[in-house]
Amino acid sequence: MLGLEKFQWEVRELDRELLEIGEMVVKRAEELGASQAEAYVAASRSFTINVENSAIKSASEKRDAGCGIRSVIKNGGIGFAYVTTIQDGDLLEAAAKSVELARASVPDPDFFALPSHDGTYPAVKGLFDPAIQKLSSEKAAELIMRTVDATNEAAGSKQTAVEAQLNTSAGTNAIVNSLGVSGSVETASMFIYSSPTVKDDNDQTSSFEFQVSRNLKNIDPEWVGSTAGRNAVNNLGGRTIEGGDMPVILTPLAVSTIIGGGFGGAINAEEIQYGRSYIADALGKSIASEEISIMDDSHIAGGIGSRPFDAEGVPTQRTQILHRGVLKSILHNSYTANKDQVDNTGNASRPSYSGLPSISPSNLVIEPRKGALDDLVSEIKKGILFRYTGDRPNMTTGDLSAMVMEGHYIEDGAIEHSVKNTLVGINMRDLLQRVHRVGADVRVTSTVVTPSIVVESARVTSG
Amino acid sequence: MEDAAKAAIEAVLKVGAKFADVRIENTTTTIIEISDGVTKRSLASRLKGAGIRAFIDGAWAFGQATDLTPKGMRKTGESVARLALATRSRVAKRFKIDGPSFQDKVRLKVKRPVQDVTFEEKIAFAKMIDDQARDFDGRVHNTRTVYGDLWTELYIANSLGTSIHLENSLPRIISVTTAKDGANRQRGIKSVGTRGGFEELETERSQHIGEESAKLAVDLLSSQAAKGGTYDVVMDPILNGVMVHEAFGHASEADNWPAHTTILEDKVGEKVGPEHLNLTDDPTMPGKRGSFEYDWEGTKTRKRTLVKDGILTELMHSLETAVLLDMEPNGSARAQSFMHPPLPRMSNTFMEPGDWNAEELISDTNGGILLCGYNYGYTDPSKGQFMFQANYGYLIENGELTELVRDVSMAGQILEVLAKIDAVGNDFSMEAGTCGKSGQAVPEMSGGPHARIREIPVGGA
Repeated sequence: MLGLEKFQWEVRELDRELLEIGEMVVKRAEELGASQAEAYVAASRSFTINVENSAIKSASEKRDAGCGIRSVIKNGGIGFAYVTTIQDGDLLEAAAKSVELARASVPDPDFFALPSHDGTYPAVKGLFDPAIQKLSSEKAAELIMRTVDATNEAAGSKQTAVEAQLNTSAGTNAIVNSLGVSGSVETASMFIYSSPTVKDDNDQTSSFEFQVSRNLKNIDPEWVGSTAGRNAVNNLGGRTIEGGDMPVILTPLAVSTIIGGGFGGAINAEEIQYGRSYIADALGKSIASEEISIMDDSHIAGGIGSRPFDAEGVPTQRTQILHRGVLKSILHNSYTANKDQVDNTGNASRPSYSGLPSISPSNLVIEPRKGALDDLVSEIKKGILFRYTGDRPNMTTGDLSAMVMEGHYIEDGAIEHSVKNTLVGINMRDLLQRVHRVGADVRVTSTVVTPSIVVESARVTSG
Repeated sequence: MEDAAKAAIEAVLKVGAKFADVRIENTTTTIIEISDGVTKRSLASRLKGAGIRAFIDGAWAFGQATDLTPKGMRKTGESVARLALATRSRVAKRFKIDGPSFQDKVRLKVKRPVQDVTFEEKIAFAKMIDDQARDFDGRVHNTRTVYGDLWTELYIANSLGTSIHLENSLPRIISVTTAKDGANRQRGIKSVGTRGGFEELETERSQHIGEESAKLAVDLLSSQAAKGGTYDVVMDPILNGVMVHEAFGHASEADNWPAHTTILEDKVGEKVGPEHLNLTDDPTMPGKRGSFEYDWEGTKTRKRTLVKDGILTELMHSLETAVLLDMEPNGSARAQSFMHPPLPRMSNTFMEPGDWNAEELISDTNGGILLCGYNYGYTDPSKGQFMFQANYGYLIENGELTELVRDVSMAGQILEVLAKIDAVGNDFSMEAGTCGKSGQAVPEMSGGPHARIREIPVGGA
């Protein structure tokens, strides 16, 4: 067998082929002594164009296929192995290694079994747009150059260098196990990004904007480019401010890292069971302001985190996490649900066949309330409009100290100037309680769907 | 392997591209995670395949192949070359890839090859470290130990005549301990990562890494969250290394120049810091996690003197950036795996020691803070802005270390901060890490001596 050669890539029989590979690998692991086995097989094609200094710099086309295997032996020992090909010899070697590792492992008494399933999966719409898969390299180049042109136009007379990227990805994942799980799904997604660096006589700065979608028609190169260009120009002239306790508006991009990462990671049942999350013993309790309701929704049509089954082949669902500030549920996979003896929420995740299974939100949806961003700004006497940070809290203590990578100082309801060397510090438990406004300006960042939110007071340090 | 690479290179040139290179990789990795004494995850992997690049007139194309027969390699080579030809008309600038070529077979000498050590022994070692952390103190609430190793055989060839066989072996042990006292929970992380065989984890420090992380977690139970404000900061060697890496290293990766994305663009040959500032990136240090003899383009590596006496003198180059900036290639192109194209990256990055005794440095400071270790850091070279978070620290009052504080963040502008470094210690150590850029993670080390920065904003929670 010659790896990818055996596939007719454009024919939609790939799912059948991957399922067959999965069945073969599971069978092999069982023959070698596994009492239960699972195979996660994926094949994808991705295409990327990179722009540097406003011109095309490189293109790449990757066809990737591989398999991850989990074997369980009778005493409960578990082993994983993966391989970046789907050639028979490599698959069999990986199956053997997973069993060997399972034998060497110290069994986990809390492990019960792999999940079983013999029914159907929910229909989740809009995961595969053939137009993304069929997008030609010429058309892709045109789309990304339109993004660059829009960026330059919005940046106006400022000296500008644009970095940009377009990526399309289409593929099939299949999962098979010894207990009846057998599912496959075909997905496609597309991403465009623009990041201008702008200079004037006194300052140099940058910004970025992006869109990610499972539907080609939703991609708007002009919006991405012009927003990125305008934001970069607005970031010029950054100044430090007088620090102190003040309100902070988190725009959707900031919410995406601070709440999406910093709260989405804290409701992971595994982290909670180990006492590694700042959220513990809180089910049914009020842990946030009444303004906040959050849903983990894996069924949004075309959602980036949407999926009919999770990374263990368990059917997915919609799970209410926070309702008016009360913690209703946390996120489980089969292991943590068995350990707590609760229903599995179907949040097992893995980045691809190569990753280890863990737990993550699907789409984290923060329920919108009212007000455009301008309204939120107009209500602030003195505060920060926090557009973006790369920071996440310490997940154990909840302490967050976030650099304002992009943000502006607000005075008397109006944006004054961009800020530099400025940090916002707050504990996540306080942040959740101090959300006193949730806007209506909803944006899909990737797997977080959220409006802007206002934190009544946080410590701002600048200098 | 040579035949497969040759087939791909010939195919690329035949289609009409002017430069081609190929990396063929065969890597095995092991990850063992023990938590609270039981195996949480154990993973064995094999990464096998080739990355092929084609270049013409300023346009690059990249593709990957897992069919390593000459026929499969030829096919991928042709399709990569066609992709490069298709985009050549839209490039910013036409140029040629040129540079020295190298032929070598480098064997990495290790005592105990990680691929020959049984899973049983690796798991027993991780279990020993995990037990050690749990037994350290009654307040230890959760332990997590991760053993990792990677063994790589890499072949690199290009159309300039380069043909390099390389080997790499990177063992690592990480201990993460959570200690709990009432509602107060704190986490300590300690790790050892080197280049070599399994014997590197049989050293005194590696064998006690569980105790080290448990001690830190327990100590942190009595710490306070730092109060935000402007401080004179003394960095310990680990944090200093992160500062050099984040605040300066990324901005001196030469791919930022053609892209116009670094604040240092006009600073080559210029003063970027005080005279006592010397920054180095050195992949030739023996046994270090960031070391390699040839880079992923097959260029021989050497020590890079980034800043000499406060002057920016050298950058991290790939073949392409060396051509574009008319500087010498210095072997800085690295890729995470065959699935990724190489980029200019750091290796082992550090501040050269100065003449201050570390204790004197602290006793000379008032109203300051000693920051130690790190949780993470990141930077945006185009803004020159960086941020990193220390793991813990001590307030310094009248030259004395006082209260223990945790999770202290420090942010600033590269050039402003470098200018404020007024004292550099004469001690030195390095810490293993992993650096991410453009979606690619590569192993690295960073470090230096203790050093002091005057008046810098420090954020607390």
